[in-house]
Amino acid sequence: MNAPSDRDLILLARRGEAGAFGELVTRYQTGVFNVCYRILHERGEAEDLAQEAFIRAYDRIATFDVEREFGPWIRRVAANLCLNHLESHKVTAELDEERDADSAELPEAVQEVRERSEQIRMALASLPAAYRIVVELRHYQEMSYDEIAAQLNIPLSDVKSHLFRARKLLAEKLHASD
Amino acid sequence: MHLTDEQLNEYLDEAVNERAQIEVHLSACGECAARLSTLRKLFNEMESLPELALTRDLAAPFMRSSGLPAQLPAWLPLTMALQAAAALIVFIAAAPFVIRLIPDIETPSLSTVLIQFQTQWTAWLDRLSQFHMPSLPAFSLELSGLYLMSALAVVSMLWLVGNGLLLRNQW
Ligand SMILES: [Zn+2]
Repeated sequence: MNAPSDRDLILLARRGEAGAFGELVTRYQTGVFNVCYRILHERGEAEDLAQEAFIRAYDRIATFDVEREFGPWIRRVAANLCLNHLESHKVTAELDEERDADSAELPEAVQEVRERSEQIRMALASLPAAYRIVVELRHYQEMSYDEIAAQLNIPLSDVKSHLFRARKLLAEKLHASD
Repeated sequence: MHLTDEQLNEYLDEAVNERAQIEVHLSACGECAARLSTLRKLFNEMESLPELALTRDLAAPFMRSSGLPAQLPAWLPLTMALQAAAALIVFIAAAPFVIRLIPDIETPSLSTVLIQFQTQWTAWLDRLSQFHMPSLPAFSLELSGLYLMSALAVVSMLWLVGNGLLLRNQW
């Protein structure tokens, strides 16, 4: 038996079946959490805002256009929430030094990959928030310059300059730790 | 003239018009090709960043039956309008019967009205129980009575179903 499509689940959720929406959350929660984490770099906040994104989606499920893809849409909702959160809470929380698991007993090659991932995460975390959000939308949500400008309501020239400077900073940080 | 950083960035972002020109330069200039390859490596590294796992299940609040209130379907509030419309239609349809059943009363006293009303009411109930309506020359009587009864039955059903749905969805 085939699993129900996202569209089926949305239609069921509209009829009041909360469990159907729960299934949709199960499908996308890791992706959405990672959007929030890449922007916020704080696990607790990222999990809270990912949860909030799904609650908002649930509130709007009646008006959601079922012909749209749910995955990209919910990731954009999450990115927007995180952006608003950063703008309203200028105080930066201690950034997490996230480790996937206890890496002591892992093979050397795996440890190297983990260390590199951690370096990338730390480099991303060190970027100004305005750069981080543009990097998120371009690299992880694959939006075009025009789409990013529209989503963030900033000029196209800012999208480009934020993105190019962010990449320069990332390259410098990652080179320094190569 | 070498390619600018902007051109390389835009090239990888697939946001340049002069793609062919850039590719001509890249195929001839090792320096720019190397810069492009460094930038591409950065893109790949960022985009292959593994996803972290959640420490809690975000679906849990939606799975519990007592979690969030069930969403009212968009069409549900329409049942109220539908009920009102049906009631109005039946009211209009029933009006000729009612007008004929209640005789014209010329400024009578309250008691006369009540007595007359009661008389008419019992008479009406009587006829209704015999399924025999008073003579209405314009209509086929049996059919009109049946029609009135079915209309009443449909409205009652609509009312019950509509309210049942509304109540059920409050929980
Ligand atoms: Zn060159």
